[in-house]
Amino acid sequence: MSERYDVIVVGGGPAGLSTAYFLADHGYNTIVLERGSEPGSKNVFGGRIYTYPLDKYFPDWRKDAPIERWVRREALSILCEDNIVNLEYEIDRKPNGYDSFTAFLSRFLKWLALKVEEKNVVVATNVRVDEILFRDNIAYGVRIGDDKLEAEYIVIAEGANTLLSERHGLRRKISPRDIAVGIKEVIRLGREKINERFCLGDEEGLAQFLIGSRFGGGFIYTMKEYVSIGVIYRPLLNNQIEAKDVIEELKIHPHLSKLLRDGVPVEYSAHIVREAGYSDLMHKPYGRGYIVVGDAAGLILNTGFTVRGVDLAIESGRLAAEAIHKTPPGEEPAVYMKLLREKEIIKTLKKFRKVSKILSNERIYTKYPEYICQILDKIYTVDELPETLNESFKKAVGGKTSIIRLIFELLTMVRSL
Amino acid sequence: MKKMKVEERLTLTKFEVYGEPHIILRREKCKGCDFKICISSCPAGLFTLDETGEIKFTYEGCLECGTCRIVCPENAIEWNYPLGGFGVQYMFG
Ligand SMILES: Cc1cc2nc3c(=O)[nH]c(=O)nc-3n(C[C@H](O)[C@H](O)[C@H](O)COP(=O)(O)OP(=O)(O)OC[C@H]3O[C@@H](n4cnc5c(N)ncnc54)[C@H](O)[C@@H]3O)c2cc1C
Ligand code: SF4
Ligand code: SF4
Repeated sequence: MSERYDVIVVGGGPAGLSTAYFLADHGYNTIVLERGSEPGSKNVFGGRIYTYPLDKYFPDWRKDAPIERWVRREALSILCEDNIVNLEYEIDRKPNGYDSFTAFLSRFLKWLALKVEEKNVVVATNVRVDEILFRDNIAYGVRIGDDKLEAEYIVIAEGANTLLSERHGLRRKISPRDIAVGIKEVIRLGREKINERFCLGDEEGLAQFLIGSRFGGGFIYTMKEYVSIGVIYRPLLNNQIEAKDVIEELKIHPHLSKLLRDGVPVEYSAHIVREAGYSDLMHKPYGRGYIVVGDAAGLILNTGFTVRGVDLAIESGRLAAEAIHKTPPGEEPAVYMKLLREKEIIKTLKKFRKVSKILSNERIYTKYPEYICQILDKIYTVDELPETLNESFKKAVGGKTSIIRLIFELLTMVRSL
Repeated sequence: MKKMKVEERLTLTKFEVYGEPHIILRREKCKGCDFKICISSCPAGLFTLDETGEIKFTYEGCLECGTCRIVCPENAIEWNYPLGGFGVQYMFG
C-alpha cells in the first residue's frame, strides 16, 4: 500500500462505503480500510432498510440490490406470559411503492462495496486500523501494525463501538445506560412456510416490534427463506435474565414457537446500539484532516419502534463527501455540520430526543405489557359476571400505580414518540 | 423448538480464531467489583465464575458486540478488535 490516496476511510460499513461512493463522484482517489475479511462480515443490524436514499443516489439499485422482501405488514406486539396483543398495519401499494425492504446487512454491504468499486475506489479488507496519525492536531494518516498510510483526509466510519475516536480523545466512553445490545438469531424456515404462517405474498415482508416483560424490546423481520428474530437487551434494566438466554426466552413464547416450528437456526449475532439519540451526537464531528460519519458520530435514530441507521449513514456519507469537497485545503470541514442541519438530519434527531428516556424507563417493559394483557384478558374472558372496562382496569393495575400516574406516563410517552 | 444452550448456539456462527486474545481481562481489578455485570450482559456467555469465585473469561466465541467494555465499572477489560480478517465472520448480520 505505497500509493498515495486523497482520502482514507476507516471502516467499510454503510457510512464508510457511502462516503467513498460520493467522494469518487467528486473525483477523490479514495481507499476504504475494513477489518473484516469481506465487506459485511462484521456488521449486524435488525433487518430493514429505507429506500429513499437509494432511490436518490443509486440509479437502478432495485435491479441487483439484495432485497429480501418489501415491508408490507408492520406490527407492534406485546408479549405476555402466554398471550399476545397485536396492533397491525397493512400497507397496500404498487410494487416499487414500498418505502422499506427487509435485508441482511452483511449481504447489502457486499453489494454496496461492489457499487463503490465500480467507481474505482479500493475496498481493502483484512485491514485493522490501529491508530489515526495526528501532527499538530491535524490528521494525516493511519497506522496499520507497522505500516503507515497517509492522505489529505481521514474519514472515521468505525461504527457504534468508538475505539479509535476514544483513543484519540474525540469522544468519551459512552455510559452503560445509553447502550443496548441487539442480539439476533437467524432461522431458516423456507419461503412457503413463511408466506403461510405470516400471511405474506412471495415478495411481501413483515416488520414486527415486540415488547415483553421478560426480555424488554425485540423484533421480527421476515426474509425470503429466513426469519430474523432479536432482542434489544438493556444491560442495566434486563437484570432478571442474562443476555445469553434472551433469544431462548423469546423463542419459547407460545406465539413465536408456533410461528417458528421446524425452523433451523443458522446464525447467532450481537452488536451494541447507541441509544442516547440527540444527546449522543458529536458536537464537532470533524477537525482538521478528519471527519466522522454514521454511528461513530452518533447519527442513529431510534424512534421507539424502529432503528434507523443505514439511511442516516448513507446521508451522512454524502454530506461528509460534499463537505470535504467544499473545504479549502488546510481548513476544517466545518460546513459538514451546516449541511447536516440543512438536510434535517439533526432536526429529526432532535425531534426524537425524548425517546431515549422512555426506552430506558423500565416500566414500559415490565408494568405496561402486564397491565394491557390483564385488561384485555378480563375483557375477553366471558363468564357469568362480566366486568366493565373500568373494573378490569382497576383490577389489572391494582394498587400498583394510580390511574393518573399511568395516564400521565402514557401521555408523556405518546407525546415523545 | 427445542431449547438451545448458548454454547450450542455459538457453533452456528463462524469464527476465524486468532492465536492471541483480543480482549484481556485484568482480573485484579475484579476483586472489588460486586456488580459483575459482565456475566449477565455478554450475549456469548464468555464471563463465568470459577470454583473459587473468580471471574473467568475466554475470547473464542466473542461476537465483537462491544458490550463488556462499556458496562464494566472498573475498566478491567482491555478491549481491541481481533487482527484484521480474524474473529467472527457474519453471513446474516
Ligand atoms: C441490533 C441492531 C438492529 C438494527 N436495526 C436496524 C435496522 O433495522 N435498520 C437500520 O437502518 N439500522 C438498524 N440498525 C443500525 C445500523 O446497523 C447502523 O446504524 C449502521 O450499521 C451504521 O453504519 P456505520 O457504517 O456507521 O457502522 P457499522 O455498520 O458498525 O460499520 C463500521 C465498520 O467499521 C469497521 N471498523 C471499525 N473499526 C475499524 C478499524 N479500527 N479498522 C478497520 N475497520 C474498522 C467495522 O468492522 C465495520 O465494518 C441496527 C443496529 C443494531 C445493532
Ligand atoms: S464487571 Fe468488570 S470489574 Fe466487574 S467482574 Fe466484570 S470485568 Fe471484572
Ligand atoms: S464483546 Fe460482546 S461477545 Fe465479546 S466478550 Fe464482550 S460482551 Fe461478550
